[in-house]
Amino acid sequence: MRPLLITLLLLCLLSSQSAAQPPRVVSINLCTDQLLLMLAEPQQIASISYLALEPNSSFMAEQAKQHSINHAKAEELLTLKPDLILASEYSDRALISLLQKLGHQVETFPLPSSIEGIQGNITRMAQLLGQEERGQQLIKQMDQRLDKIARQQPAVRPKALFYQPNGYTSGENTLQNTALQLAGWRNLAAELGTQGYRAIDIETLLLAEPEQLFTSSYAPGSQSRAQQQLLHPALKRVTAGREMIEIDYKQWICGGPMVADAVEQLHQSLPK
Amino acid sequence: MKPPLVLTQKQLISGLSLILAALFLLSLFIGSNPIPLFQAAGDALLDTPSVIALIFTEIRLPRTLIALVTGATLGLCGAAMQGLLRNPLASPGLIGSASGAALGAVCMLYFGLSSAVPMALPAGGMIGALAATLLVYLLAGREAGTLTLILAGIAINAMALALISLLLNLAPSPYAVQEIVLWMMGSIANRSMDDFQIMLPGILLGWFLLMGTGRSLDALTLGEETATTMGFNLPQLRWRIFIAIALAVGSAVSITGAIGFIGLVVPHLLRPLVNHQPSRLLLASAIGGAILLLAADICVRLFPAGTDIKVGVITSLVGAPFFLYLIIKSRRSLL
Repeated sequence: MRPLLITLLLLCLLSSQSAAQPPRVVSINLCTDQLLLMLAEPQQIASISYLALEPNSSFMAEQAKQHSINHAKAEELLTLKPDLILASEYSDRALISLLQKLGHQVETFPLPSSIEGIQGNITRMAQLLGQEERGQQLIKQMDQRLDKIARQQPAVRPKALFYQPNGYTSGENTLQNTALQLAGWRNLAAELGTQGYRAIDIETLLLAEPEQLFTSSYAPGSQSRAQQQLLHPALKRVTAGREMIEIDYKQWICGGPMVADAVEQLHQSLPK
Repeated sequence: MKPPLVLTQKQLISGLSLILAALFLLSLFIGSNPIPLFQAAGDALLDTPSVIALIFTEIRLPRTLIALVTGATLGLCGAAMQGLLRNPLASPGLIGSASGAALGAVCMLYFGLSSAVPMALPAGGMIGALAATLLVYLLAGREAGTLTLILAGIAINAMALALISLLLNLAPSPYAVQEIVLWMMGSIANRSMDDFQIMLPGILLGWFLLMGTGRSLDALTLGEETATTMGFNLPQLRWRIFIAIALAVGSAVSITGAIGFIGLVVPHLLRPLVNHQPSRLLLASAIGGAILLLAADICVRLFPAGTDIKVGVITSLVGAPFFLYLIIKSRRSLL
């Protein structure tokens, strides 16, 4: 009798979960935190990662304040009794396999470098949360903003380059590359054959003669040699005195609908 | 010991200067991309705004100049220290001046002071260098043997390194921790003319103070008592050299990080050529140090672009075996 009862109970639980909205969702990664905050009912969110509160990197820092946070440690996650755990493909492998071994549903999301990738992540997250309609709405809003910019492309695309501390730049297969192109810039790093995030030699940068440099500070106000490299006087001189333009880090550290903000900002900084 | 080569000071200095001039030119030619150098120099002189002129004046020239003055500083200070302490193993690297300078610079840079006041950076380097040098000198005692001096140097170096690593871990910048290699090995990559201007005043002042010490150092080879009876004021000489080293090494290291072994190796290589005369060794070691660092920095640039090898790796690869050779050679006297 008892085993039957337990089986029945389990079945009930399982069916109620898959039916619609999982009631207790835990996210352990900044990128899934933000999509979760955008798509879920507040009651669905059991916990988000502590990074979601960090205003420089989290686009949803304000909304994140209402929720309890975790530090992606196995013990604290288990006490939350989650129905669904959200992680990034770069999250701690050992932690994820442990959680799965203990019978939890863990869904990992890739870091998208294209608009299609962002749409895919939103759709999948919305399905998992049982919030398909909100997902469609979010994608529609983002697409409308991007379409508007796509209709106002400049006749000649000016040359731009991303320059980050330690001389890192964003080449092909990066969100920055996608955003630059959508906004109407040429990305010199991609044209030079850079794949992903790579350091670019300063002489190579100067010889490419960018008209505008962009950067995104991870830790504004702090000092290091890596960050001082952005102040090299040659950088300002090669762009005819134009200051490097800062794009908020939180707009693309994770792929999400907020990339439209970055594209709009990049578009507005096109030379008039 | 008989010198292997009989050279007058004039011949030696002109020979070394010729090598230095050739390396200076070569250094301007070598970069990640080939550029027409003479056209670039022409554009720069005529103020034609071209990218190659920009690469020439803002990238290659500062890098070459910084290598030149830093190498000269380390060579010169090594020679002065070995003369003053009459100790063949004394050098800014082993005695702790360089790591003390790096510690001082780290204090200034990562906690925001040097971004408000640029001269705080070399000032921090100077204070750190002076403090470390004096500590070693006090720990080892005035008439310290080679071994005592080296041990005191090791202790202070280890202490400075631990503090640098602690400060970089506590620094607000997320990039700070990775930069410990830069301070330990030294690098001249991606420096600008601004950096050169920041380091120059302290370095020139230090050189100026050291250049006049030749005669006293010559007298000191006869022993402290003899030098004193000859009318040389030794406490004053000691302070003058320590302060000069703090000014020059402090300024250089605050921009480049601690570049090892130049101050040790160069005076040793050149000493037989100047007939073991400290006064002649000073200028020769300055030029020799510049030659060694320029050559090492050219080596670093010959690696394919993107491999960020620190220049101190090359100088240590050359210097460490030489250090071992010195130890083996003087093992009998150490034991």
